Amino acid sequence: MYAYVIRRLLYAILTFFGITVVTFALIHSVPGDPVSFFTGAAGMNVSGPALEAIRHEYHLDRPLREQYFHWLRGVVTLDFGRSMVDRRPVSTWIFERLPRTLMLSGIAFVLAAAIGIPIGLWSGAHSNRLLDRGSSIVFFLLYSLPTFWVALLLADLFSVRLGVLPLFGMSSDGYSELSLGGRIVDRTRYLILPVLTLTIGQIAIFARFSRSALSEVIRQDFILTARAKGVGEGALVWRHAGRNTLLPLITLLGLTIPYLLSGSLIVEAIFQWPGIGLLYFDSIWARDYPTIMGLTVVSAVLTLLASLIADILYAAADPRVRFEAGKR
Amino acid sequence: MKAADQPRGITWRRFRRSPIATAAVVYVIAIALIAVLAPVVAPYPPDVIDLAARLTPPGKAHLLGTDDVGRDVLSRMIHGSRVSLIVGLSATLLSLIVGSTLGAIAGYYGSVADWVVSRLIEVVLCFPFLFLVLGIVALFRPSLWTIMIALGLTSWTTEARFVRAEFLRIRELEYAQAARASGGGDARIIFRHLLPNALSPVLVASSFGVASAIMTESALSFLGLGVALPTASWGSILSVAYEYIQFAWWLALFPGLAIFFTVAAFNLIGDRLRDVLDPRAD
Repeated sequence: MYAYVIRRLLYAILTFFGITVVTFALIHSVPGDPVSFFTGAAGMNVSGPALEAIRHEYHLDRPLREQYFHWLRGVVTLDFGRSMVDRRPVSTWIFERLPRTLMLSGIAFVLAAAIGIPIGLWSGAHSNRLLDRGSSIVFFLLYSLPTFWVALLLADLFSVRLGVLPLFGMSSDGYSELSLGGRIVDRTRYLILPVLTLTIGQIAIFARFSRSALSEVIRQDFILTARAKGVGEGALVWRHAGRNTLLPLITLLGLTIPYLLSGSLIVEAIFQWPGIGLLYFDSIWARDYPTIMGLTVVSAVLTLLASLIADILYAAADPRVRFEAGKR
Repeated sequence: MKAADQPRGITWRRFRRSPIATAAVVYVIAIALIAVLAPVVAPYPPDVIDLAARLTPPGKAHLLGTDDVGRDVLSRMIHGSRVSLIVGLSATLLSLIVGSTLGAIAGYYGSVADWVVSRLIEVVLCFPFLFLVLGIVALFRPSLWTIMIALGLTSWTTEARFVRAEFLRIRELEYAQAARASGGGDARIIFRHLLPNALSPVLVASSFGVASAIMTESALSFLGLGVALPTASWGSILSVAYEYIQFAWWLALFPGLAIFFTVAAFNLIGDRLRDVLDPRAD
């Protein structure tokens, strides 16, 4: 087990360096240099000496390799430089915004799992052909719904037509004067539409994954044994197969994080939810490159950590994984 | 039995047993015809502005209504199908080329090559897809080309993984060994003997790839980072719908349905192909 964890950690460190190299290379392959494209996007007319001063401040007058190591040293200590828009440290921006995105996508993740997994197990268990094919098609249809279209329709229905939920933002005016209960109600009202949008997109992923995990398990010998022993179909699925099906679901933790973050980018932009998705979107328009780089690295590292934790949990829960990995 | 061993007719006959997947194929062919014949079938030119008829609800003159400057929504959707299909197909083609080349190298040579490609895939998979695509498209200026390249360069990992796995399996089969024994060079063995036999999982991945590329292109256009206006695309009509959400439901409904149906069609075709071509997979 320790050998497995250590090897997995070493790979994660390697991947981390890969992430920083890709991010850095991407930004620096953009034609023109970051300062000129920032001032261009902001419509500023900056004189030559002033441009030089900004370049110097952001170390852009240094050789590329030196810039990379300077930036990397910052990333490791969670210092991503200062935003070009308001000169606030990028890390302050990110840590102010990150919890809001995690709240949004965390709730959607839990809801989607709570709805999707039972549906998937149920459809996998009733694998009489017609029903199974039918549910598989429904999953694919759900999965094919464009997130931004769902958001648009939900906003149209609940905010514009019915007028029961706020269209965008995170809280009402005068939020800070509300009592605790009032705040919770207020925040919940703003959360419903973005969470609903993200959840709808996720349900199908959980359902499909648990359905195929169950059908994998149900083919194995111990299920045949249990069936031969006379265990009823219900107990067979839920007690014998169900538990073994939940194990591979751990890996979904790592797989869905990038998907959720991508989704939150769209959902936050539409509902103006001030999380990291909206921050990224705004920085892209402003061409605020320290923030773009910081957010790119942070979102990739979040995925890396999630899949690392998922892999270790999985290996801890299922000795076969460590064994298989050890053989390679 | 593997698909490569079967005559094409059998594969298609098995494919057709699913009425929904067959309907999806018919739908895709219809959309492709509409895209090719867009100037002929569209009732109006896509960018003729008619301020007198702005935001007209669906009716006789404009079957699906008009947008904020009076352009015919149906005509814009018909022309928009070109953008969706071109981006979907070409981005997938690019990721197919990149993905199967890297996957083939990793699977054929193994050891160091395999290690490097596998690490590269791990790194790319860590980035939330849309963050990467949005960043590339916005920083390199949005255009049809940038979108295609950004999508192609970020979504090749599925194809690479599939081809790699398939190569690891078939490179030790008798015919591969025979090719090697009779003195075939590496390139010849890879491209002539192995790749054609590794194509069925790639075909499945590509079908899902087209769906994902069309979805992402429309999201980019919706967010204002797509193909430059006034070129019509399904996503850009929806971004107008977002501004006029109180007044014009038809702007939101019809282009959204077009995206949804098209993405679903490619996903359903991919799902059916997987069932038909590779019975081992779920």
